[in-house]
Amino acid sequence: MNNAMSIIFASDNESKLNELTLHRTTASLPFGGRYRCIDFALSNLVNSSITTIGIITRNNYSSLMDHIRMGRDWDLNRKNSGIVVFPPYASNTSTNVFKGKIEALYGILDYIESSDDEYVVVTNSNIIASIDFDDVYESHVASGADITMLTYNACPTTSRRVIVESDLSGRVRGMKITRNASEDECELGLFCYLFNRKQLIQLVSDSYERGKIDFERDILQSNIDILNIHAYKVKGHAALVDDIKSYYRESMAILDTDVRNSLFDSAGKVFTKVKDSVPTRYYSGATVVNSLIADGCKINGRVENSILFRGVVVEEGAEVVNSIVMESGKIMKGSKLNFAITDKNVTVTEDKALSGSDAYPVVVVKNKTV
Amino acid sequence: MHTNKKECVAMLLAGGQGTRLYSLTRDLAKPAVSFGGKYRIIDFPLSNCINSNIDTIGVLTQYKPFDLNQYIGNGQPWDLDRLNGGVFVLPPYMKGETSDWYKGTANAIYQNIEFVDKFSPEYVLILSGDHIYKMDYAQMLAYHKEKGADCTIAVINVSLEEASRFGIMNTNADNSVYEFAEKPKHPKSTNASMGIYIFNWAKLRKYLIEDEEDKTSQNDFGKNIIPKMLADGQKLFAYNFSGYWKDVGTISSLWEANMDVLNTSSGINLDDSAWKIYARNTAEPPHYVGKNAVISNSLITEGCEINGKVVNSVLSTGVEICEGATVEDSTIMPGAKICKGAVVKYSIVGNNAVVGENAVVGDTQEGMVDGQWQITVVGPNAKVAANQVVPVKAMVD
Repeated sequence: MNNAMSIIFASDNESKLNELTLHRTTASLPFGGRYRCIDFALSNLVNSSITTIGIITRNNYSSLMDHIRMGRDWDLNRKNSGIVVFPPYASNTSTNVFKGKIEALYGILDYIESSDDEYVVVTNSNIIASIDFDDVYESHVASGADITMLTYNACPTTSRRVIVESDLSGRVRGMKITRNASEDECELGLFCYLFNRKQLIQLVSDSYERGKIDFERDILQSNIDILNIHAYKVKGHAALVDDIKSYYRESMAILDTDVRNSLFDSAGKVFTKVKDSVPTRYYSGATVVNSLIADGCKINGRVENSILFRGVVVEEGAEVVNSIVMESGKIMKGSKLNFAITDKNVTVTEDKALSGSDAYPVVVVKNKTV
Repeated sequence: MHTNKKECVAMLLAGGQGTRLYSLTRDLAKPAVSFGGKYRIIDFPLSNCINSNIDTIGVLTQYKPFDLNQYIGNGQPWDLDRLNGGVFVLPPYMKGETSDWYKGTANAIYQNIEFVDKFSPEYVLILSGDHIYKMDYAQMLAYHKEKGADCTIAVINVSLEEASRFGIMNTNADNSVYEFAEKPKHPKSTNASMGIYIFNWAKLRKYLIEDEEDKTSQNDFGKNIIPKMLADGQKLFAYNFSGYWKDVGTISSLWEANMDVLNTSSGINLDDSAWKIYARNTAEPPHYVGKNAVISNSLITEGCEINGKVVNSVLSTGVEICEGATVEDSTIMPGAKICKGAVVKYSIVGNNAVVGENAVVGDTQEGMVDGQWQITVVGPNAKVAANQVVPVKAMVD
């Protein structure tokens, strides 16, 4: 799809990732052993030939800048397109950080207007999925939609979700914005949209000038009868990460071979910042079962149902079970982790035990020594 | 001042066919052969260069260059995409009426005199693309300057038995070279040439031109240029290198070098933040270790799926080990698949090769000395049929 640009929101006001996003945007949240959440959005776009990408940040964006640099790792250091990161306070008349997506988009309207692409992909950065935007585009054209909204099937959680009701033709006839968890699986919005660029500019300008704030409510839901909004259900595995529980659940989902194949073995690769780590070294005391292990680790203990990021050390006699250990974590001799998430550079000293539960994993913040 | 001038330009000889690696180099140049899980042999000299602050490198290619060219690309993985300098792939080319393949190592540099001249260097560093080692060329250059040498040759101490396989430098007390003996039957010393030279460019340039005019010359550094310079009384010095260094020109030595990476006391430590070895990344996910996997003393990298047993082995990017399969004391190259129940021991399995279900490749060996391991090879893209037995030292193409 070479006639589209994209706008990515690096943070979501609604995020409840707490400790994990103290120092970073949702976009730069480490995920899946060697990635940051935004890698999936960026790779999907690049793999679909969409290479003009603006990223809107809200706060704590230095980790994101460090991750993206000039965009080279996604082949986005281009002359005639490429990546632009918009820090907050884009508009010099506003006195506060933007209140919502409408204001944020309004703040970079110049950027969107300066493009000559026909379409814009507007997306959140916390979507874990392999999305083929060429296919989305085909569906968009075939349905004659004004807006195509990407959806997936899942159970609503206590995070903000848009329940989509579409008719047989796929046209969205009803949208319910909710924070009520439910056990019933239904079609939910992925917070990823394909717009006609000029129409997006029009909608954002109108809404902003009328004091509207909420993108989903004020642009989509309230125009449902006027605009032809179509749903496109993402093929394969799709997930939103927006609280500790979903972070843990969606991370562990990658241990499932079908999910891994859906995310990584599709046509396009998932790109990320290259760190030139060495291969992971297994010592004679290593016992590793059902785990995802990034490069640069040194393993001499037990690792089970877990995810180790780059450069993690598991010493002799240490046990990492049902846990996520982020980059450069060090689990020393005799320590035991069960249902734990340790952020970057966490050291668990000898003979400590950290234990949480499936629903409430223990989280250790960045750079801490336990 | 930033000008085009470079103090030292490196010329990396990467055109060799590597015939002694047999099927592993049937479709690609030796420097492009995979090594140590996520590297290629050429990553070592390229990384050594950038770590030694040498940012201008000509890579001389000739044999099956496509993989190597594609791998090097614009040099970005080694931080060699530069406005001035960087990495250049130099295949033979037409010159006026004539064009020639590279006839020998010296002729390859001779044919690229114009390239080197563009950077007006004082010094030229000659490297080859078939050794595994970490070396600070900046220290060697400082030594070269300190000695006021015309040519400095890096040497490594080998055993007396091995000495007959190398070019041997016989030196005076001040390390100046008085004699060079190519593969001597009765070596006088154990200073083996590592094939790494620093020359004063003006001097080398003159010798290359003279050598080209000599129709009897084999146009080779070891056989012609070095002996000629010695005979003329030029100042040649040996530079002693004491770290890990291995020529990976044979199946046995390539396998040994991979095993050396596994062995933390071998002297080659790749996990060294002060001297990183860079490689082009293939954007594969972290490796997955399944419910019935057993892994011990091994190196495993991105994109692998391990459901069997892996002991004392090096697995490259995207290798799949199926349930019930066993891999011991082996190196498995990128994309290879070891199917259910297969057993692979003391072997090299080439890129994208498939070892079929319950096949047996190679066998355990005891008490061999380096250089004599009987390694079994499954060539790139080769298929070992289910239940097939591939004996020790056999090669499957």
